[in-house]
Amino acid sequence: MKLGFIGVGAMGLPLAGHLLNAGHALAVWSRRPEAAAPLLAAGARICASPVEVARHAEIVFTMVTAGEDVAAVVFGEEGLIHGGRTAGGQFSTLVDMSTIAPAMTRKIATRLKEQSISMLDAPVSGGVAAAINGTLAIMVGGPAETLAQVRPLFDLLGKTIVHVGENGAGQVAKACNQMVMVAAIQACAEAMHLAAASTVDPLKVRLALLGGAAGSRVLEVFGVRMVNRDFRAGVEARLHHKDFGILLDEAHRLGSPLPIAALVGQQLNALMGHGWGRDDTASLLRVVELESRPT
Amino acid sequence: MQVGFIGLGLMGCPMALHLANAGHSLHLWARRPASLEPFKDIDARAHASAAAVAKHAEIVITMVADGPDVAQVCLGAGGLGEGAAGKSGLIIVDMSTIAPAVARDIGAKLAAKGIEFLDAPVSGGEVGAKAATLTIMVGGNAAAFERVKPLFEKMGKSSTLIGDCGAGQVAKACNQILTGVGVAAVAEAFNFARKSGVDPARVREALLGGFAYSKILENHGQRMLDRNFKPGFKAWMHQKDLRIVMEEAHKLGLMLPGAAATAQMFNAMVGSGLGEEDSIAMLKLLERMSGSE
Repeated sequence: MKLGFIGVGAMGLPLAGHLLNAGHALAVWSRRPEAAAPLLAAGARICASPVEVARHAEIVFTMVTAGEDVAAVVFGEEGLIHGGRTAGGQFSTLVDMSTIAPAMTRKIATRLKEQSISMLDAPVSGGVAAAINGTLAIMVGGPAETLAQVRPLFDLLGKTIVHVGENGAGQVAKACNQMVMVAAIQACAEAMHLAAASTVDPLKVRLALLGGAAGSRVLEVFGVRMVNRDFRAGVEARLHHKDFGILLDEAHRLGSPLPIAALVGQQLNALMGHGWGRDDTASLLRVVELESRPT
Repeated sequence: MQVGFIGLGLMGCPMALHLANAGHSLHLWARRPASLEPFKDIDARAHASAAAVAKHAEIVITMVADGPDVAQVCLGAGGLGEGAAGKSGLIIVDMSTIAPAVARDIGAKLAAKGIEFLDAPVSGGEVGAKAATLTIMVGGNAAAFERVKPLFEKMGKSSTLIGDCGAGQVAKACNQILTGVGVAAVAEAFNFARKSGVDPARVREALLGGFAYSKILENHGQRMLDRNFKPGFKAWMHQKDLRIVMEEAHKLGLMLPGAAATAQMFNAMVGSGLGEEDSIAMLKLLERMSGSE
């Protein structure tokens, strides 16, 4: 199949690689061309603009940071939209795997539909490791027939592909995912901190807990980073901070209280304020430690 | 003075009337013609656009709902900026509550057109607007502030120049943290007293003499005891103002746990149909959530 990929960062690069390795033709655009170099070596076509990608690809994947970035890539001056079928290009389906606001996704999908271009929102969970291993959880919003067409490609990228509902539903699921996960990271940080403050070995506490009802992926993955005080990113905390901005904004819009998420959001604000945005979200432990340090 | 006024709602209408009563000539533009009704027998001219208001006035005051409305009135087609083309010395005074960043942005764009801009949000609610006892928090240029001060004095009991453009909105955001968290605290205290079998009215009376004294305990507290939930200041407006606060905190990497918890309670109020009531209906929410209705 003729595919396109835009946004070849830590997550996007391995995903694009999986599509290429499965034998698909892949057109790639990157703001920083050097980021796409490994794909060029593997046979991808490196394009000068999103519209050039659209001229060569039917299905285009995007994996960028924010809603504004997706909108710019699609509707900008050299955007994908100018390479649709009516404009003599190939572009007929957008698969946006970025994490953006549900309302923004719906707006983009509606505008694309006017040009007979179909869209899926397909944010993912699992981090860089799962992207490399092709074991992501993919949460999909959009028309069932579009998903049916894209599903074989998703199978190359993830192990759990759930059709959540209409356009935007994938992003809603992702917001829920972020709430549950980061709240768990915060709980984990507090537990590790309580153990240390009680002069009990956090390593042993974590081990004991993993076998019981408090056992979780977060305790497993983030717990070990906290115990080892290894705060290098896995997922950069600034991305979780961005996601909390989105979901608390939705809560406001819906008149729906999220008391725990709101407090976790404040811990993330403090993390950002200390300049740890490019470190791992396990740094929430450092925020808790600061709060209890005598001044 | 020739004074423009845009935004003749619950707050704006009495504020504009105070200016007219002080002998100023008003120039008005309203989206809904019904808003102009109270001005038909006084020295006030209705115009077809904000631009026309800017042509006739030396100072224009805006009092609208949110940042995008202010931007539209100031910078949009047919807006104040358009009407002020080729004219010098116009001052626009925005008394709405909007995000500091939006105020700074509008201020910069107007400055590029040679128009002075003050952000001058108020505290005191509809009661304060009617009684001309508002507290006015101003950001912007000191010379412009001095020129507008005589008008502020007709609408409020105090006006303070806090700092540069946006500083008034920062002060208002601080005000909304204190009042939002304060209302929640009084509501929690009263619900706690009642659930403990103690009369909240007696608790309030006792507390008024001590360190927990506050205007909110005194005024809002009394209205809670009277179960008078008529606005005043609507819960959805406080929800909006706290959103501005929380978005600033997000941008600044700033931790505001108390305000964050309170903002969620305002979300719950709006979601459960209390948005049009006074923000003291926080008490009803707490009663409902703790089964003490």
